[in-house]
Amino acid sequence: MLKATKRATALAASVVVTALTLAGCSSSDNGGSPVPSSSKAGQAEIDKAMNTPTTLTFWTWVSDIDDEVKLFEQKYPQIKVNVENVGQGPDQYQKLRTALKSGNGAPDLAQIEYQHIPSFTITKSLLNLTPYGAGDLKSNYPEWIWNQVSQDGSVYAVPQDSGPMGHLYRSDIMKKAGITSPPKTWDEYAADAKIVKEKTGSYIGDIASNEPVGMVGLLWQAGAQPFGFDGNKTVTIDVNSAEAKKVYSYWQNLIQQDLVSTDPDFNDQWYQGFSNDKYAGWVTAAWGPLFLQGTVKDTAGKWAAAPLPQWNAGDNVSGNWGGSTNAVLSTTKNPIAAYELAKFINTDPASTKLLNTQQNLFPAMNSVLNEASFTDATSDFFGGQKINELFAQISPTVNTKFQWLPFMDYAYSEFNNTVGNAMTNKGDLSAAADQWQDKLVGYAKQQGFTAQQ
Amino acid sequence: MTETLTRTERKATSVPQRRDSRRSNLLSILLWLCALYFVLPLVWLLIASTKDNSDLFSTFGFWFGRGFSLWDNLVSVFTVRDGQFARWGLNTIIYAGVSAIGASLLATMAGYAFAKYKFPGATAMFSVILGAIMIPLTALALPTYLIFNSIHLTNTMWAIIVPSLVSPFGVYLMRVYAADSVPDSLLEAARMDGAGELRIFWQVGIRLLSPGIVTVFLFSLVATWNNYFLPLIMLNSSDLYPLTVGLAQEQSASAAGGGAQALFSTVITGSFISVVPLVIAFLFLQRYWQSGLATGSVKG
Repeated sequence: MLKATKRATALAASVVVTALTLAGCSSSDNGGSPVPSSSKAGQAEIDKAMNTPTTLTFWTWVSDIDDEVKLFEQKYPQIKVNVENVGQGPDQYQKLRTALKSGNGAPDLAQIEYQHIPSFTITKSLLNLTPYGAGDLKSNYPEWIWNQVSQDGSVYAVPQDSGPMGHLYRSDIMKKAGITSPPKTWDEYAADAKIVKEKTGSYIGDIASNEPVGMVGLLWQAGAQPFGFDGNKTVTIDVNSAEAKKVYSYWQNLIQQDLVSTDPDFNDQWYQGFSNDKYAGWVTAAWGPLFLQGTVKDTAGKWAAAPLPQWNAGDNVSGNWGGSTNAVLSTTKNPIAAYELAKFINTDPASTKLLNTQQNLFPAMNSVLNEASFTDATSDFFGGQKINELFAQISPTVNTKFQWLPFMDYAYSEFNNTVGNAMTNKGDLSAAADQWQDKLVGYAKQQGFTAQQ
Repeated sequence: MTETLTRTERKATSVPQRRDSRRSNLLSILLWLCALYFVLPLVWLLIASTKDNSDLFSTFGFWFGRGFSLWDNLVSVFTVRDGQFARWGLNTIIYAGVSAIGASLLATMAGYAFAKYKFPGATAMFSVILGAIMIPLTALALPTYLIFNSIHLTNTMWAIIVPSLVSPFGVYLMRVYAADSVPDSLLEAARMDGAGELRIFWQVGIRLLSPGIVTVFLFSLVATWNNYFLPLIMLNSSDLYPLTVGLAQEQSASAAGGGAQALFSTVITGSFISVVPLVIAFLFLQRYWQSGLATGSVKG
């Protein structure tokens, strides 16, 4: 039901955008904001901006982020911030595009996921933050995160949270199957899957057929470079490379032997699957542990976490699934204040602490990842394990060079039509990936991109 | 006055007649199935709103879970995100109330005029209105958005209320109803007594038309109460959201990935609360609703 609504919403909103384009509403890509293009904004300029009465609008779906914003307003009493939640992820992006196209109603700042930054830089909708001092933030973040928000010396967003991937599993079910240590390699994972299914009847995990972002995270771990974008007119599309096909055929094998399920995630059946022991684990991201605690309380204490199984024994690499940023829109009239807000929320120690403890966001900043109070925290849900420490150690192992297409919405919906479909039907995933590749290349050409394969 | 009228009508029909004695088991079964079909989702909603998240996913849907957390859920509905739910509820009441009153007033005036006055272009205008019934509100949402955007009315309350004020179906219904229930002779008599046209409408027409007005009122109330698409595209500010959009947004927070909040029991309880006022409105206005519905069917 949720997915259907979402799809309808996305469709509706994209129709609005199209309609606006057809109606020939004037769109100004670059608002008339004063951009000090040559040098960094001086401290005097910043002080002046922060002491001028200003109202900022901030679109975000992060709930109760008002608390962090209040800290900012205390520090800068002249600045008032309107926090608006206009929808989560795709819903908000569509609204944002509509507002940008129609020329009014766009906020000063917006929540944008890493993977969708290129689809806004291509329309020059995001302000390059380097002139405002964003370059100085680089050393605060793991390299892979910084690469996600910057391109060729320009910085388009301030990272907020991240989702380095790991493996959550039910230690009680594993134990029942006679497995005492979590699988270290994907080969072991496959072997364990067989044992778990035979001894307990549970699937070792669910690889959701409607979750392209999770699958892309696994491609990321495997060292595939399925996407690329030069910031201008050239895209790289390689979703059926040898590395990617290694991943597809691995899962195809497990799916066809009925050792993993392919239920769509984040719906009733899937939640029930966790409650009734249908799944013995979840290959997920760092935000997964807290999410599980909220939904399957009755399995508390039975969970454990481990790094992702590796392709080669002894390796230590991961991928990322999820995470988002705060970006400043290029149409803003108050670029300095807007950037200062983005910077404050995501780098001020009090604010970042709140983001982690109140909003349950997995931190992006090194300083938070390495803080003792963060890493030493134990989780009762995970039988007293130090979950934060584990994922904080995984974060720097995420492959550093991973890029996105400027049309990830399309790429994901075509994933569902091709690879996702093959997963549901226990079909040939690699052949489906070839189809996905063809669709993406065709679409890129149709949109006027040069597509490298 | 109207109440007594309907009551006498009812009495008249409740006198045993021959067709009453003919019972159809098949029909009874079919109707019971229909009733089940419509009531079961509500029952599920009621039961589900007494469960917490883990009971929701681990216990049978049509019976109560291990814990009884209706109270916790209610508290959470009104406290999540600083209690925005109450704000959304108020918005919905404003949108639906103002739209329904406005729409029934406009439809009554238009329907009365079509039924009782001859004026140039009446047939053509009525044909246009008939045609407009065929166009779903959803299809008009986009053009409406473009118009409202150009006059800077998007993201205001007017963006929801103004488009909901016109009800082509209401005009059609009121025309049919007025043609039947307002006798021309009565109007003639009023004119003879020296009443102006406006006064005749307000003092004679409106009273005779009230069952029809309630019908149109309920139609518009339900339509605006449940409208999702129009507010979805018109509004950007969560302070202006109606319940439909607000609840959908809370629901989607569960799939947000980073920082996801599993608000299922909250959303379900919120949905339950949001249908209660409609149920009450129907129970209270039911008798008018029935007589109004039947009107269009006898004479066209």
